[in-house]
Amino acid sequence: MLIGIDVGGTFTDGVLFNDGEIVTSVKKPTEEGNLKNSLLQVLDELMVKDDAANIKRIVLSTTLVTNLLATGRGEKTALVLLPGYGLPHDSYDITEDIYFLKGAVDFRGREIERPDNKEIDLLLDWIKSSGSNRIAVAAKFSNRNNVHEKLIKNRILEECDGVHVSISSEISAKLNFPRRAATTYYTAMTISPWNRFVDEIEAALNDRGIEAEVQVLKADGGTIPLQASRSKPCETVFSGPAASTMGGLALTLDDLNSVVVDVGGTTTDLSLIIAGEPLYASRGAVIDKKLTHVNSFAVSSIPLGGDSVITTKGVQPYRIGPAACFGGEKPTVTDAFNIHLNLNLGDVSKSEISMEEIAAHKKMDMGQLCSQIVADVTKRLFSAIKEMFLQWENEPAYKVWEVINQRKFTPDRVIGIGAAAPAMIPALAELMQVEYFIHTYSPVANALGASVVRPTLTVVLHADTQSKKYTLDPGGKTGELEKPKSYQLNHAKDMALQHLLTVGQELGMEDYTADCEFFLEEQFNMIRGWDRVGKLFEVGIQVAPGFIKEFKGVKI
Amino acid sequence: MKPTGILFFPAFDWAISPTHPEREERLLYTRDQIFEEGIMDLPQIKEYKPGLASLKDIARVHFCVPDVEAQITEAHLVSAGSALVMADAVMKAEVKNGFAIIRPPGHHAMTVAHGNRGFCNINNEAIMVEYLRQKYGLKRIAIVDTDVHHGDGTQEIFYHDPDVLFISFHQDGRTLYPGSGFTEEAGGPLAYGTTINIPLLPRTTDTGIHYVLDHLVMPILDEFKPDIIVNSAGQDNHYSDPLANMAFSAQGYARLNETLAPDIAVLEGGYSVESALPYINMGIIMAMAGIDYSNLKEPDYNPSRLKEPGGNMERIYKIVDTQLKTFRNREEVIEKNRRSGELFKSSREHIFYDTDYINEDQRNELRLCPECGGFRVIISTAQHPNGKRYHIACVQLPIFACKSCQEQARDAYKTFNNSTYDMVYLQDRVKDQYKSIITRTGEERVL
Ligand SMILES: [Zn+2]
Ligand SMILES: [Zn+2]
Ligand SMILES: [Zn+2]
Repeated sequence: MLIGIDVGGTFTDGVLFNDGEIVTSVKKPTEEGNLKNSLLQVLDELMVKDDAANIKRIVLSTTLVTNLLATGRGEKTALVLLPGYGLPHDSYDITEDIYFLKGAVDFRGREIERPDNKEIDLLLDWIKSSGSNRIAVAAKFSNRNNVHEKLIKNRILEECDGVHVSISSEISAKLNFPRRAATTYYTAMTISPWNRFVDEIEAALNDRGIEAEVQVLKADGGTIPLQASRSKPCETVFSGPAASTMGGLALTLDDLNSVVVDVGGTTTDLSLIIAGEPLYASRGAVIDKKLTHVNSFAVSSIPLGGDSVITTKGVQPYRIGPAACFGGEKPTVTDAFNIHLNLNLGDVSKSEISMEEIAAHKKMDMGQLCSQIVADVTKRLFSAIKEMFLQWENEPAYKVWEVINQRKFTPDRVIGIGAAAPAMIPALAELMQVEYFIHTYSPVANALGASVVRPTLTVVLHADTQSKKYTLDPGGKTGELEKPKSYQLNHAKDMALQHLLTVGQELGMEDYTADCEFFLEEQFNMIRGWDRVGKLFEVGIQVAPGFIKEFKGVKI
Repeated sequence: MKPTGILFFPAFDWAISPTHPEREERLLYTRDQIFEEGIMDLPQIKEYKPGLASLKDIARVHFCVPDVEAQITEAHLVSAGSALVMADAVMKAEVKNGFAIIRPPGHHAMTVAHGNRGFCNINNEAIMVEYLRQKYGLKRIAIVDTDVHHGDGTQEIFYHDPDVLFISFHQDGRTLYPGSGFTEEAGGPLAYGTTINIPLLPRTTDTGIHYVLDHLVMPILDEFKPDIIVNSAGQDNHYSDPLANMAFSAQGYARLNETLAPDIAVLEGGYSVESALPYINMGIIMAMAGIDYSNLKEPDYNPSRLKEPGGNMERIYKIVDTQLKTFRNREEVIEKNRRSGELFKSSREHIFYDTDYINEDQRNELRLCPECGGFRVIISTAQHPNGKRYHIACVQLPIFACKSCQEQARDAYKTFNNSTYDMVYLQDRVKDQYKSIITRTGEERVL
């Protein structure tokens, strides 16, 4: 038995899944102040149908970290930056108080300016006097050489008690210092609330005698063991939309171009599946309006859902309750679709009564009013979808072949997810002139997706045979190359693979590391004068998003 | 405030040869620097995707021998096409200005293209200028070539065009490739004074270049009143460049672009791939986007080491004086040339293609038209590396040519068709139509 639980903004969904079928599913309103409760309530209801001993794996998706950051309830954290030379300091607007230090490293990892010990002393005094106990440290090009970040971390740990320090080279090895700094800052802010949450979940599972493996869903559509997530809380943001996208993929399992449309109560999330593979946000997840290095699906959120209320002024971006046909008080988008398309959802007469009032107010024929609303809503969704295609097609390219083989996205299908999907998706598909796919499991596809996705892992190696150094991500591992003169691409690929296997083992994902694939193989000759003085390699290998071995699709 | 457009196309899969200065590695550290700075994420910047130039865009400027396909690789189509993407973004006012950080470069490529000269096959800026004129009806354009090498290709292409002001400062041609760009090269008889060369002595620093900018380039631009200013933005004036001997800094380049305020900058040369390019490119982007660049410097920057060579400033004052006069006397000189009584002005040129080792002989005939800048006939002969020898006739009709030049040029193309040339070309920019004919078979191609 597998369990998937998605704690969303409005509802918490859970499924108990076995052998291609959902054994039972639960949907509960989310208690905003107590996500743990919502999660455990759903878990307990699912468990009614089965024994703790039969549960093999539980995957959780939660908005905890997203909420903490969006509402500014993360822990107070001091950000220390070593930006060296380049942009002016006032261009770093991650937070208001930033402590700037001297010290610089270049793109080859060479030290070009030493940190100033007196400045560091002043920083330590300030930490002690201000009582800051969360510090995030980020240096430009620390992904090529983290000597300065480590120095500062060690000084703080040696001289200040009870302070937790996060350094950016351990969070991400990708280029883009402001994003790395933001990701480190957000990690430092949420690491202890997230750890408390993990503690509580572990205790609760213990109480229930559940010994199943527990995984957390990440924004990249893969899972990470609950334990391992302790040091990477930011990876868990936006896992809800990832759950839906993976749910759409789980229900179809083919390599068509699909638009996944997750119609929620007040928002609709759009994501793209291109030839069977979910599309990533090329610039990383945006948290609190800042770009980060959190790998996330490209999701476009539109403030428009099945429960969006209709007033005389049109469709409103908020929810009061369910659609009138499902017992709600006010007419909603679902009611308009229900009438216009004869969908026979719930009590159609309730839809009609509620819409009639608005039509009378506007001195319009009700049929006409509904048809106008349907046209408006589908048009808005379609234009947001087209905007996504366009954005993907217009991604920058840095190689000739990428430009010559121009990208073009032609959708084959719309996959409808969420309870309100049956109302809105057919009309949208008709407007787009593609087929649509809605499944009996569509209302809980997010939880279903969560229950069957496999772990993901991305490893990147940067090696420089002239300086004889390499760095490995994740973990910010650095070292000396053994035989730099004879070092070739195959050696670089081998090192990256070995790191993937090692980290994979630490994460208990040995079953999936065999499915890894190289997604980045860059090599450059370094020529000085007319001679080759070395080579630069950047190699990436990953276990991409996918499904656990026992999942072979849904049976119905 | 509108953002600055950036199009970064490093062509990581293209090189002239593995150890050539124009190799994959050239913009690698620039990529590292601008990506690590995260400058593309700033609201002041909008990043653009590369585009593809069409064969017609190239034929609008070049007579490619025997045809466009023979002279380019896909990388050239992307590089030129990317300049056009940047131009479109500026013209559609999506951005306030734009910088195309692209390769391969183009400013040594001339009108007739037999092969690669000075790392260039086709001229990105010239292709962009004629595109802007066709598509947006621009007329007056200024190109300021800030590369250390004389932009001899761009100069030759616009040498007879009174509506394109070409200004190039560069290391003196007696000390550096391509050996041209002296003050006497001031434009053809009907376009005199709109080619302005400023040869500078080796080791000229920020001080010298900024004097030229403030006292010559900017005043001339003010008087010329171009519709658009293009910076042919080479970065090899830098003190660390391995192919030249100047002493310009990243700060100097940033200030240059702040002062010049080009609408579009297009990367040309610059081969100090680690010590200069990452910082200069940052500096240009920041200056164009109005971002404070005072915190930018090269790791080894030491202003006390960079001093103007003795007597250099005096020499620069003189050149500035001379060239201001050249520019201001231009209309007078042109009138005199027009009244010379000659119908055609002919000249002979020898052009050497250093990369491909081709020797080209040219005869140029310019019509001394009483009404316009005249049309031009080029007879060119060259042996290609494959052993094939080409003897061709090219008729070039500028976009603003008068009626009588139009008729004469089109007639000339017809007359040449029944002759002994291997290929005959007509570049009819008035009709935006580009014809070529293989005389042996009579096969004509129209782009
Ligand atoms: Zn120049
Ligand atoms: Zn140059
Ligand atoms: Zn004329």
